[in-house]
Amino acid sequence: MLATRASTAKRLARSFATVVDTKASGVKVAAVDYGQPTTAVTVLVKAGSRYQPSPGVAHVLKNFAFKSTAKRSTLGTVRESELYGGVLSASLSREYLALTTEFLRGDEPFFTSLLASILATTKFLPHEYSEYVLPVVRDESTHASRVPSTLAIEAAHSVAFRTGLGAPLLADAHSHVSLDSVKEFATSAFASGNVAVVGTGIDSARLADLVDKALAETPLPSGSSMPSSSSKYFGGSARINLPMGGQTVFVGFGTTAPSAALSVLATHLAPPSALKWPSVPRSSTKLTPVYLPYSDAALAGILVQAPDVKSVKDAAKTLFEKLKKPLTAEELKTAVARTKFDAAASAETREGLTLALGKKVFFNADTSVESTLTALDKVDDATISKTVSELLKATPTYVAIGDIATLPYVDEIML
Amino acid sequence: MNALGPSLAPYIRSSRTLKKWVTPVAQWYANLMGYRQMGLKYDDLQQEELPEVQRALGRLSQREYYDRSYRMKFAAHQSVLHKPLPKEQWLSAKDDARYLKPHIEDVLKEESERAAWDTMGVQRR
Repeated sequence: MLATRASTAKRLARSFATVVDTKASGVKVAAVDYGQPTTAVTVLVKAGSRYQPSPGVAHVLKNFAFKSTAKRSTLGTVRESELYGGVLSASLSREYLALTTEFLRGDEPFFTSLLASILATTKFLPHEYSEYVLPVVRDESTHASRVPSTLAIEAAHSVAFRTGLGAPLLADAHSHVSLDSVKEFATSAFASGNVAVVGTGIDSARLADLVDKALAETPLPSGSSMPSSSSKYFGGSARINLPMGGQTVFVGFGTTAPSAALSVLATHLAPPSALKWPSVPRSSTKLTPVYLPYSDAALAGILVQAPDVKSVKDAAKTLFEKLKKPLTAEELKTAVARTKFDAAASAETREGLTLALGKKVFFNADTSVESTLTALDKVDDATISKTVSELLKATPTYVAIGDIATLPYVDEIML
Repeated sequence: MNALGPSLAPYIRSSRTLKKWVTPVAQWYANLMGYRQMGLKYDDLQQEELPEVQRALGRLSQREYYDRSYRMKFAAHQSVLHKPLPKEQWLSAKDDARYLKPHIEDVLKEESERAAWDTMGVQRR
């Protein structure tokens, strides 16, 4: 068996991703095969927090992945995939719910049928909800509510976009999400129009065949896309009291037109360190560039973290001064090069590849590395200064987390 | 033996003649046991100490769990008084539903599935 796998893995020729419409089920399928020794099949569902009817429903639905279905029990799912050596995981972003299976080449029929049965026949049993799902949901929410950077990004989204993208990603640790609302959300989300199957290390025609076969046994309801209004940027400020974890400030801007210049700007303002272990000791103030592009909006900004209020305030002030100063040719070149590297490196990971393919499937966007790099190459002085002047006209998104009695207000740092 | 204990009921129910003969005896015996006179249901008598039954109790809906506690409290009070409830408050045979049995069966099925996976032999194809 191992010998046959090795021979199929020999196909090192790079095949480009093609989007294939499955014939029977109506689910879109895309795959790339770089000759990796393992295969991953991801089901991307438009069921992120943006589409949820009430806060926390998407988070609960994520944790209901790989639970009892009409075909097998929770234990059966786990043990059977263990026999194949597969790894099952679910992740939630603001736009997508991703159910991923990773396994050795040759086991794809089992794992595609597993994913199909999860989508179509999950039972949503009340006791599984209280025994397995809710404890994990509470743990994740409680943990997230203690991490200042996660809190800052959450608050920044709610301030910047209010509804839709501004909806909380995680369920509140203390609020109740009813099982019925989760079931209802699942039936509307798991329709063939909202689902895309993305594979890496597998041929797209073969994946399409397998998906068709699996969905013929357990068909999905045909449906169109989820109801969601297009995003609008508002901006504003939020202050959250957090006794431990240092002082955190997020300064950023949202836009409804994601552009390459914005990501370059974020990298320029808070350049990530090029050395892993620098010779001079690192300063205690940590600057992290944030650039989060979505299908119809983007949030860009800087996360400033420091142990005391004064250094946070100084760092945030310096950021705004840096933003108002025009870039020198050298600075621009450095920032563009670093952004290009990050963009290219993200296409190397499985998650990055899956997300890029997902965008291609759902929005027919050109997401190849080459096109991203060309767009970044086109960024010049003029586009940067235009972006900056547009940003400064809008209301900034400002989040302060920590000792809110002494942390600065946005007008104190935007001098 | 599992939490539910041995039962001839499925075999008796499968035969029409047997069912016709045994049902009146079963009803008579159930009434003789005396739990209905205390306002209890048969499933209130399940051994709560068993971990399987504990898990099954956790799966009851809030309403079922409340009703169960209410019946228990009533029965405990009657036990203190050393007398059954007045006859009009006895539980009728049609109210004596097995509300816990399906949950215990589910738990037992899960246990046996786990045991099956734990002791499975794997064959290479």
